[in-house]
Amino acid sequence: MQFDLDIQKTLRSGKRTFHLNLRLQSDSGRLVILGPSGAGKSQALRAIAGLLRPDSGRIMVGGAVLFDSARRINLKPQARRMGYLFQDYALFPHLSVRQNIAFGETPGWRNPGRQAGSEAVERWLAAFHLEHLAHQLPGELSGGQRQRVALARALVAQPAALLLDEPFAALDPDLRTVLRGELDRLQRELALPMILISHDVADAQVFGDHVVRMRDGAIQPGAPAIDGADIDPILAEKKIHG
Amino acid sequence: MPSKLIRRFLAAFLLFSAASISHAAEITVSAAASLTDAFKDIARSYEAAHPGSKVLLNFGASGALLQQMAKGAPVDVLASADQETMDAAVTRKLVAPRERMNFVRNTLVLVVPADSSFNIKRLGDLRLEKITRLAVGNPASVPAGRYTRAALEAAKLWAPLGPKMIMTQNVRQALDYVARGETDAGFVYGSDAVAFKGKVKVALEVPLATPVSYPIAATAGAKDLAEARRFIAWVQAPAAQAVLARYGFMKP
Amino acid sequence: MHPTWTALALSLKVACWATAIALVLGVAVGFLLARRRFPGRELLDTILTLPMVMPPTVLGYYLLVLLGRQGWIGQGLQDWFGINLIFTWQGAVIAAAIVAFPLVFKPARAAFETVDGRLEDAARVLGMSEAALFLRVTLPLAWRGILAGALLAFARAMGEFGATLMVAGSIPGRTQTLSIAVYEAVQAGQDDIANTLVLITSAVCIAVLLTAGRLAPGRVTHR
Repeated sequence: MQFDLDIQKTLRSGKRTFHLNLRLQSDSGRLVILGPSGAGKSQALRAIAGLLRPDSGRIMVGGAVLFDSARRINLKPQARRMGYLFQDYALFPHLSVRQNIAFGETPGWRNPGRQAGSEAVERWLAAFHLEHLAHQLPGELSGGQRQRVALARALVAQPAALLLDEPFAALDPDLRTVLRGELDRLQRELALPMILISHDVADAQVFGDHVVRMRDGAIQPGAPAIDGADIDPILAEKKIHG
Repeated sequence: MPSKLIRRFLAAFLLFSAASISHAAEITVSAAASLTDAFKDIARSYEAAHPGSKVLLNFGASGALLQQMAKGAPVDVLASADQETMDAAVTRKLVAPRERMNFVRNTLVLVVPADSSFNIKRLGDLRLEKITRLAVGNPASVPAGRYTRAALEAAKLWAPLGPKMIMTQNVRQALDYVARGETDAGFVYGSDAVAFKGKVKVALEVPLATPVSYPIAATAGAKDLAEARRFIAWVQAPAAQAVLARYGFMKP
Repeated sequence: MHPTWTALALSLKVACWATAIALVLGVAVGFLLARRRFPGRELLDTILTLPMVMPPTVLGYYLLVLLGRQGWIGQGLQDWFGINLIFTWQGAVIAAAIVAFPLVFKPARAAFETVDGRLEDAARVLGMSEAALFLRVTLPLAWRGILAGALLAFARAMGEFGATLMVAGSIPGRTQTLSIAVYEAVQAGQDDIANTLVLITSAVCIAVLLTAGRLAPGRVTHR
C-alpha cells in the first residue's frame, strides 16, 4: 500500500469550525485529490507533510508511518522527507535560483553560498534548463520558471514522496499543458509516490491513476472520478456549488 | 449646523480664556525647594484672606529658579535659600536692591535614614569606610550644597569626601535619597528634617560661618508689583511666620 | 578629559548597551508575539509598549522603588550579589533599555509578521531546524525593519533623561549623560557648555535618524 491516510482535525477560525475527516487508502503511486476551494485539500496535504497536527488518526506514506496518534508517533516535518510544492512555490526571495535549489543540502545555520553546487544541484539545474538562470532571484523569473525551481528544490533533497498543492493553478493554460507533461515524465522516471491536489480536472486526467473527490473535509464516496460536466471546469464549479 | 456649533464653541473658548487672563490678581512665586510645604500652606491662607487673588507656586533649586528668570520666565516674587542667589539676581537687574528683605532663617543638618545604625557625632566621622555615599546638593545651583561645601572646606573635608558624594539637583532630592536609604547620610536643612520626621533623623547640626538666611523680593519684571509686595508683607506677618516655625524654620 | 567628552562617551556607552539589550529582548519578544497565538496576546503587547508612552519620571520612580535598597529587587540584588544599581551606569543602562525596548519590539513584530509563514514551512519540509530557518529565512527577510527600530531605540537611549536622573543620578564620569549634563549646565547658568552639548546631541540624533530612514521598507535592494 502506498498511502494510508486517516486524518481527523477540527479547525476553528473565529466562529466557524471546520472538520477535516479524511480516510483514504491507495495502492497507487499517483493519487489525485480533486475538490473545490474550501474542501480541506490543502489542510490534508499540510497534515501529511507534518505542518499540521491532526487531532487523531494515522498517516502512512510509501511504507513509512509518519503519524499515529494511537502509538504516539508524530514525526517532525524536518524528518518526514516529503517533497512539497506550495501553491505559490514559496521560493526564498532573498536567495538565487542556485541557492534555493541547494538550500536543502546545507543543514547548518548559514545559507549556501553564491557558487554552491553539488552534483545533484547541477543535475537538476540542467534537467529543468535553468543553468542560465542560476544567479537570478525568484522575483526576476516567470511563473513557469519559478515552478521548475520549486520542483528542483524539492527533488534535490531526495524525498520519499512528492506532495503538490495546485502546482499549475498560477500558470496560463498553454504552459500548464507543457509542465504537466514534464512532471508526468519526471514522476514516472523517478517512480516517486505522488499526491497532487487540485480543483482542475485536467490534472486528474494526466496524473490520476487513483482519483478521489473531496468536499467539506471528507472524501465523497462513490462520486464518479470524471464525468461529463467536468470536462469544462467552469461547469464543474457550478455543479459543485449548485 | 456644524459651523454654528463651531462658532459657539469658539466664542465660549475665547470668553473662558479672556476670563482667565483678566483674573483679579495673580502672581507667580518662585521659591526654593526647601520652602515647598511651608509656602503651600502660606499661599492657601493668603488666598483665603484675599479673595480674588491667586498665587502660582514654582519650586526648585534657587540656582535653577534664577536661570529661569534670567531666560525670561514671568516671575513676580523670588524667595531663595541663600544671599548669593539674590545677589546674582540683583547684579543681573532682575531684582531691585531695595525690594529684598530677609524673612526666615534655617539650619544645615546632617541626616541619616531613620533606621540607620551609624552613630555619627562629628563631621570627621564621615570619613569612616562604612559610610559609602553622601547626598549633597550640587553647589553650582543648590544653596544647600554651597553651605555644605563651605562648612566642609572649613573642616578640610570637602576634597577627601568628594568620591563619596552624590550630587543632587535640589535639596529635596538629597532628602529623598537619604529617606530611601540610597545614601548613608545627606546634608539638608533643619526644616527638611522636620518635614521628613519619620523617615530621617538628625545626626548633627553643621556649624556654619555664614548663617542660612533666606531673602525674598518682588522682581523687576513683576506684572503686578502691588500684589507682589502684599504677598511679601504677608510672609513676614505673624501668621505666616508661625507656619514657617511649625515647619522647622527660625526667625530672620 | 573635558567634561563634555566624558558626558558624550558615557552617553554612547549607555546607549550602546541599552540598545543591545533592547535588541535581543525586542527581537525575541517580537518573534514570539508574531508567530504564536495565545489568549491575552494583544494585552501583553500593550503592556510591553507602555514604556514608550509613560512619562519618564513615572518610569524612573517605579525603577527607584523596585531597584532601590528598600525595593524587593534591589534588596535581592544587595543580599545575594552585593550589587546596588542606583547611582551606577548599569542602572542608567536599565532605565534606557526599558524605554528603548518598545521601539525595537514593535517594528520587529511587524517585520516578522510580513515574512510569509509558508517560507518557514518550506524550510521545515526541506529539513531545517527551527533555529536554522530563523537565521536563514526569517531574519534575512526581517532585518531591515528590525534595524530601523534599533536605530530609533539608540537615539531614544541617547536622549534618556527623566528615568536616568532618578535612578542613576548625575555623577560626572559615571552617570552624567549628555542630556543630564545639558540640564545641569542650564541650571548653573553655563550657557556655553549647554550649547556645545546640545549641538553634539542634535548631530548624533540627526545622523541616526537619517540612517534609519534609508532602511525604510520600499527601498528593498537585495544583498
